[in-house]
Amino acid sequence: MGIVLERLPGITKGLPGGELVLTTADYFIDLGRKASLWPMTFGLACCAIEMMASYASRFDFDRFGVIPRASPRQADVMIVAGTVVKKMAEPILEIYHQMPEPRFVISMGSCANCGGPYYDSYSVLKGVDRIVPVDVYIAGCPPRPEALQFAVVKLQEKIAKMKLEKGQGATLQQQRGSRDVVSDKPNEEPPIPARIGAV
Amino acid sequence: MTQDELFNRLSARLPQLERAASPIRDYLTLRLKSTDQILPAAKTLKELGYDYLEMISATDWLGPVNPNGYIRNPNPNVFLPEGATPQNVPGATPGVNYRPVFDMLWLFGNIKERTRVFLRLELPRSNPTTSSLYGLFKSADWQEREIYDLMGVRFEGHPNLTKILTPDFLQGHPLRKDYVHVKDRYDE
Amino acid sequence: MSNDTALAAQEPKTLKTDTLFVNLGPQHPSTHGVLRVGLTIDGEMITKAVPDIGYLHRGTQKLAEVRGYHHCVVLTDRWDYVSAMPNNLVFCLAAEKLMGLKVPPRADALRVVMCELNRLASHLLFFGTYGIDIGAFTPFLYAFREREMILDLFEMVCGARLTYNYIRLGGVMVDVTPEWLAKTKEFLDYFKPRLDEYDTLLSFNPIFMARTQEVGLISAEKAVNWGLSGPNLRGSGVNYDVRKNDPYSGYEHYDFDVPLGKTGSCWDRYYCRVQEMRQSVRILEQALAMLPHGEVSATGVAKVPKPPSGESYAHVEGSRGDLGIFLVSDGQASPYRMHVKAPSFLNLAILQEILVGNKVSDVIAILGSVDIVLGEVDR
Repeated sequence: MGIVLERLPGITKGLPGGELVLTTADYFIDLGRKASLWPMTFGLACCAIEMMASYASRFDFDRFGVIPRASPRQADVMIVAGTVVKKMAEPILEIYHQMPEPRFVISMGSCANCGGPYYDSYSVLKGVDRIVPVDVYIAGCPPRPEALQFAVVKLQEKIAKMKLEKGQGATLQQQRGSRDVVSDKPNEEPPIPARIGAV
Repeated sequence: MTQDELFNRLSARLPQLERAASPIRDYLTLRLKSTDQILPAAKTLKELGYDYLEMISATDWLGPVNPNGYIRNPNPNVFLPEGATPQNVPGATPGVNYRPVFDMLWLFGNIKERTRVFLRLELPRSNPTTSSLYGLFKSADWQEREIYDLMGVRFEGHPNLTKILTPDFLQGHPLRKDYVHVKDRYDE
Repeated sequence: MSNDTALAAQEPKTLKTDTLFVNLGPQHPSTHGVLRVGLTIDGEMITKAVPDIGYLHRGTQKLAEVRGYHHCVVLTDRWDYVSAMPNNLVFCLAAEKLMGLKVPPRADALRVVMCELNRLASHLLFFGTYGIDIGAFTPFLYAFREREMILDLFEMVCGARLTYNYIRLGGVMVDVTPEWLAKTKEFLDYFKPRLDEYDTLLSFNPIFMARTQEVGLISAEKAVNWGLSGPNLRGSGVNYDVRKNDPYSGYEHYDFDVPLGKTGSCWDRYYCRVQEMRQSVRILEQALAMLPHGEVSATGVAKVPKPPSGESYAHVEGSRGDLGIFLVSDGQASPYRMHVKAPSFLNLAILQEILVGNKVSDVIAILGSVDIVLGEVDR
């Protein structure tokens, strides 16, 4: 796949043949995906305040191409910022399934990772990874804004390794949907992981 | 105003109230004798200027908490080194009067006079029912629902006594001391 | 003419109107967390509003029954996570009453300093997010600029930005350094002119005033009857501030005013908070000027405290209102019962009354002006 980069003379000039750059579709699509990760503004608890701080003046998340969207339909990544309680589990699943493929999940803070200080509480879900697949976990209670930004960098690294074919480098659920182009039985529902099926 | 002066003033209008044997530190605590006294007492207090219902609470005096009410072992020392004695979950203290009652608590405030008074009432655990103060104080609305949800105390006359905090599928009333957690679909 | 009259008489029969159920939340950028409000609307007007809470119910009151007293301070941080210092303080006050601990004067003054700094941080967050709710994005950036400076101060003294665990049983965690004091004074000098900037930026902006001054009116009687507290109650003109009404931690020694609103509108509640920031700065300046010397923690605080059996109640003026704790001990290492009287919980309940009769576009303005934190509502 060849792409003409007219506006990059600095790069293309040195290439033999002039204005043609050869790249892979994987690289090009991953470049687009990772450079504009739009998270959903999805604050649950304390971590949401740190998430707001990362969007605000000092930490300025826009530098990473991260612009918060209010609707799951426009979002690429869901930052689960805070304690997930059992009553909230159902709406989270619903929101997750409303997001377009490929979708990513960042689990922010100890509560979303494993229950955190509420490890024995009767009403807290012990980790959001019981209901949705998680790409990056951030430790901390709450994590600093820098930690959230580091998680976005890590997620970008992960996206850069993804391949279109057979959904390599993606989690099991990310293999479903629009990128599952080589499936033998396109109409059949892909297998759901056991833990998700329990919900 | 000292607690004694306040008590003398209140008991002139509310002779049925007596001072509680174990008061709440630094505050005047009065005890009701029966369930039907709470509504007239609250009405009189409101007339006396105690129109700010600050808090409704309840204590289950059954005994030490049942560890099965928690999903995992509620032992705080989960990272103990090998061989160390773990701190046990709270047990019973000798000398404390554990009894099968819910000890209800209402806190009324008088904003102008800067005084507040606690009312207490013991309800039997077999039939924990008392009158709702919703008609007098709107702030009782959600607080009574919370006590109903977490403790299982019923408030007669409340227009919408339903669950407020816990999810629909949670069985039982979590703040009861004998609460046992029933595993639901989100538990391992 | 007669035809028109006949048509008008027919209209109710031919044109059928119906109410519509609109679900606001639990994921909505303007509900400040995970609040769900079920709105029934008739055209543009709201005929019924049912707040649905419990989407952040973490069961801390149950957890406290198996945690030690020192562990409970950690749980308190996460109720009102925007202002955690008053939460720490109220639990420590209640537990200290049970244990009979006497807090040294320097610790008391430091508690006041931290609580007021936290009130500034909390009201700044409100100022920023309320602007976003109304449609003004810029105040958010200004407010967070100053808020980060306060968080830096907290970080210097206890290492955390949000959940401090700084106020401990019997005193505070650690003494402040002279550099910290100098930096705090520097911050206050920087911050005072910023308050005037906020007034020009948002408070007296004609569009902002037009959107907030006539909506969400709460009369004084209604506010008291619904048990509101904090700036929501004072916005209705009721002079109730726990710092004056039932002083704790030496608040009676400081000279400050209680700003009051007049009509109880959204703008009054908003402006009460902005005025409170000025008063907080006043308290901070006095507290820093007369900071006593000495110990910052009482002696004889046990590693595993087992207070004698008894019951205590303590309440403080948190950033959102009258935050109270009812604590029962039966002589064990954990509280026998902890009840949290959360101001946001009661402030939120009034929504079911004041939203009715308003237009859909005013819902967010009213919701934002009540300034709830869902962690405290659900506990």
